Amino acid sequence: MRLPYLVPTLCALLAALVAVPAQTPDVTSDQCVGGKLDAPVRLEVFSDYQCPACRGFYLDVIQKVLATYCSQDKVCVIYHEFPLKNHNLARVAARYSKAAQRLGRKQWVAVMGALYTSQAEWAWDGSVETVVSRVLDPHDFAELKKRLEDPSIDAAIDREVALGEKREVKSTPTFFLYSGGKEERVVGGVPYAVLQGYINRLIN
Amino acid sequence: MVLRILHWLSRCILAGIFLYTGYIKIRSPLQFAAVLSGYQLFPDSLILPLADYFPWVEIALGVLLLIGWKIRYFAIAACALLAAFLTVLTITYLRGIDANCGCFSFEDRISLLTIGRDTLILLPALFLALIRVPGSGADPAQTKIA
Repeated sequence: MRLPYLVPTLCALLAALVAVPAQTPDVTSDQCVGGKLDAPVRLEVFSDYQCPACRGFYLDVIQKVLATYCSQDKVCVIYHEFPLKNHNLARVAARYSKAAQRLGRKQWVAVMGALYTSQAEWAWDGSVETVVSRVLDPHDFAELKKRLEDPSIDAAIDREVALGEKREVKSTPTFFLYSGGKEERVVGGVPYAVLQGYINRLIN
Repeated sequence: MVLRILHWLSRCILAGIFLYTGYIKIRSPLQFAAVLSGYQLFPDSLILPLADYFPWVEIALGVLLLIGWKIRYFAIAACALLAAFLTVLTITYLRGIDANCGCFSFEDRISLLTIGRDTLILLPALFLALIRVPGSGADPAQTKIA
């Protein structure tokens, strides 16, 4: 094939292959840690509370995204529980998180923050309940304990794990970024400055 | 004849590798940016521009190698690119950083295996850059010498 034909052919082929249409799974507004579901950018994170990289990603990156973009409804952040089998307390922490999610966004964000901030503490001595009790008022904590007994908590976690497996999540954190009908999958964390630059480009 | 077949094979393999690796990076610019930041070598301000433009350099190189125009020059460019990439991988590995290689997929950790594999890719590039094979391609300079 001659040069004048080869280059445009390859470019056209590449352009057709590059566009990855979003296969947006069903998500509900109660799964949003911050922002609204119809925000121009949506981040869906599969995370494990006992994973150090997930801790870093939440505390150094996601918290800034929540403060900067979700507060203005420019980004919606969704968290899916993905407790890894090799982390013995990850499932316990995920249960507390899921129960807190059912109390409301404020309580959920508080519990998430506490679980990630004090990860070393509860991962060492198993004091998940103590860590969670510090950030909830007595009424909310009593309500959370009641909800922990609900078997649908485990079913909800299993559903999120199954969703992750279906989307070929193999390690945590893995996140999916949806914008303009396109989906991008990212394995591992990304520094806030890089994500900020990328989100700004998508929004603008 | 053997040399000509080797030359042709080297071109195709190298072009295929560059086209494929460029393509996967263009498909996932944020993932590639995450890989670049994982090396802990580049400033944050440089990561997004690098993630934007580097894959297109790979694609361009792949296309040019496939076409065979000025093949020795572009084979030298391929050698330089691969050597730079190998240096980055080796530095990251020696620093003990557990990072993604970002070579053929984004779930490939940097190891001696990935470094060895990428060194092997340098061989066809070196062959194209160093060995003159008469009548092997569309390189006018080369054909004239032959």
